[in-house]
Amino acid sequence: MAMRLLNIGVIVGLVLAAAYVYDIKYQSTLRAERAAKLQHDLRRERDAIASLRAEWARLGNPRRIQTLADRHLSLVPVEPSQFTDFERLPERPPQIVQPAGADPIGAMLDDSADPGFFTGSIDSWQPKAVKP
Amino acid sequence: MKWKTTAEPSAEPAASGWRRRFIHTLLYGPNVDRGAKSRARVGLAILAFALGYSVIALRLVTLAAAPDGHSVRRVSTDAVSTARPDILDRNGDILATDVKAASLFGEPKKIIDVDEAVELLTAELPDLDPVELRERLSSRKGFVWLKREISPKQQEEIHRRGIPGIGFLVENKRVYPNGSEVSHLIGHVNIDNQGIAGIEKWLDGRGLADLHMAGLATERLVKPVQLAVDLRVQHALRDELLRARDKYQAIAAAGLVTDVRTGEVIAMVSLPDYDPNNPREANDLTRINRLTTGVYEMGSTFKALTLAMALDSGKISLSSSFDARVPLRYGKFNISDYHAQNRTLTVPEIFTYSSNIGTARLALALGVDYHQQFLKKLGQLDRLRTELPESAEPLVPKRWAELNTVTIAFGHGLSVAPLQAVMGINAIVNGGLLIPPTFLKRSPEEAAALAARVIKPETSEKMRYLMRLNVEKGTATRADVAGYYIGGKTGTSEKVIGGRYSKTKLLNSFTAVLPADNPRYLLLIMLDEPKSTPESHGYATSGWNAVPVGGAVIARIAPLLGLQPRFDLPPSEYLILAKGGQ
Repeated sequence: MAMRLLNIGVIVGLVLAAAYVYDIKYQSTLRAERAAKLQHDLRRERDAIASLRAEWARLGNPRRIQTLADRHLSLVPVEPSQFTDFERLPERPPQIVQPAGADPIGAMLDDSADPGFFTGSIDSWQPKAVKP
Repeated sequence: MKWKTTAEPSAEPAASGWRRRFIHTLLYGPNVDRGAKSRARVGLAILAFALGYSVIALRLVTLAAAPDGHSVRRVSTDAVSTARPDILDRNGDILATDVKAASLFGEPKKIIDVDEAVELLTAELPDLDPVELRERLSSRKGFVWLKREISPKQQEEIHRRGIPGIGFLVENKRVYPNGSEVSHLIGHVNIDNQGIAGIEKWLDGRGLADLHMAGLATERLVKPVQLAVDLRVQHALRDELLRARDKYQAIAAAGLVTDVRTGEVIAMVSLPDYDPNNPREANDLTRINRLTTGVYEMGSTFKALTLAMALDSGKISLSSSFDARVPLRYGKFNISDYHAQNRTLTVPEIFTYSSNIGTARLALALGVDYHQQFLKKLGQLDRLRTELPESAEPLVPKRWAELNTVTIAFGHGLSVAPLQAVMGINAIVNGGLLIPPTFLKRSPEEAAALAARVIKPETSEKMRYLMRLNVEKGTATRADVAGYYIGGKTGTSEKVIGGRYSKTKLLNSFTAVLPADNPRYLLLIMLDEPKSTPESHGYATSGWNAVPVGGAVIARIAPLLGLQPRFDLPPSEYLILAKGGQ
């Protein structure tokens, strides 16, 4: 009787083990396929990156940039006199706010909205000789 | 079976005792314990079966654990042609890279209808020759290339036609996004992606070719190679040289920028050049790299070497003077000065007036052997080898007599590769260390390990003073870009045409060091047969063409090289010599 129980137990164990092994094998096949697909995708992405990098280098080629700049911009090469270092910069003049009128803060706000102040745009920019 | 026969008698009780004993004796011998014997046999059988099953089990485990073979196969069909490392400039900009491109092939044995295949293919690829295509497809070969590197769109179209026996393979294709900008330096590859010139060939020589042979270089397993060249400086130099070549109608122009501390080549241009994407242009002989494959008589540029030799000998100082009143007669040769002063000249004057007579007398004062040894030490007499496979042997006179010393002193009679001359001048201005030039990125420490002292640091200081003086009031005044403290030496050599020195065909050069008080970079400009322009008053010497070109190049490249302009600097006597020369 004990022998029979043992046999049945062993058979059940065997079936379970077989099922488990089958499951693992199936999972591993799935994962291997996924890994192969990912590697394929990686390779494709890497190739795409390589051709984009080549394209970017072609677009950023100095000769092309220079041709475009000559055609569309009015910039001129920088003169050595336009470089300077921090020691040579003059002191910033102190800003004095005149408490004119009854509302000095309002006057300051008006000043900051002055339409005469604009950032550098290419058309209005003129090269100026900077005194060293 | 035997086990069974032994079991039988016990299952059927014996018919008669003697018969049993008789069979027993026949089978086992007279006095054997059958029980023990059969147990031993059963044990042996169990062992054998257990062994057999464990072998099978082990094999099952290894089969399950090992990966299946098809991922390996996929790689080999992915890229047939060989992968190459990217080539980058010193800032990491791409000079050469691989992209994947499909190539069309045919398997003639599998093609059913050649006419149909030819018709469909030529409809899609009009540049295919139908006659040749038919011939290839009718051959008995198993595999023929039909067209290398077709576009993805063409591939798609041909694939859709579904022609039997026609297929695609993905190959690596080498592209040079900067076109002819860095042509001579990086070289190019052939259709099978093997380097055949420049750095590309050098890469193959470094074991890449072996990888290709083994078929291992299919993936991007190769690390990018970083060169010393700066693409922006290279472009600025090339742009100015192109302009100069047009302006002075020179047949060729070349320029070189090196880092005096490390020997790195920051830019190298030799015009006319070619587009490495179209390597057929490179076969044209006029498009050789003049800086490494050509040898030239460098003319007055060589005087810098002679002066350095004289000052380094200790026998001649900056205040020595030499007689330049009359031309130097040597046999049937008459050596005269271009800027003749007809008086006694001091050493700085010899340099700034570029006096042939004075330089010749300096060299003669030290003797032929000393001169020869000095040039040998500076590497001017041996072939210079760099990473570039192309190099030229200098043309050294077979017998070196006094006359040779006289002419070589001012740069005639010895032809060297310009890169070689630059290496020598580099050593003269950088404090006296000869550093072999390189096209790869190199750190100052690596350079220091390679450097060899050839002249004293004080001599180098004096030479920088002379070169600065030459820009302040000598032959190179037109190169003086304010703020960069340039020092320089001009060279105008007459070309040998039909065995005689021509008066009109000149090879002009200008060598500049910047800044002269603490040199960082060396620039060489060479113009081959420049013509005079209206503003040069009929002159075509170096001071009128190579020097202004040098000035224009420096004004453009100095900001790129990170040199800070300085103004209000004292003249060279105070800035350089006060540190301890004379």
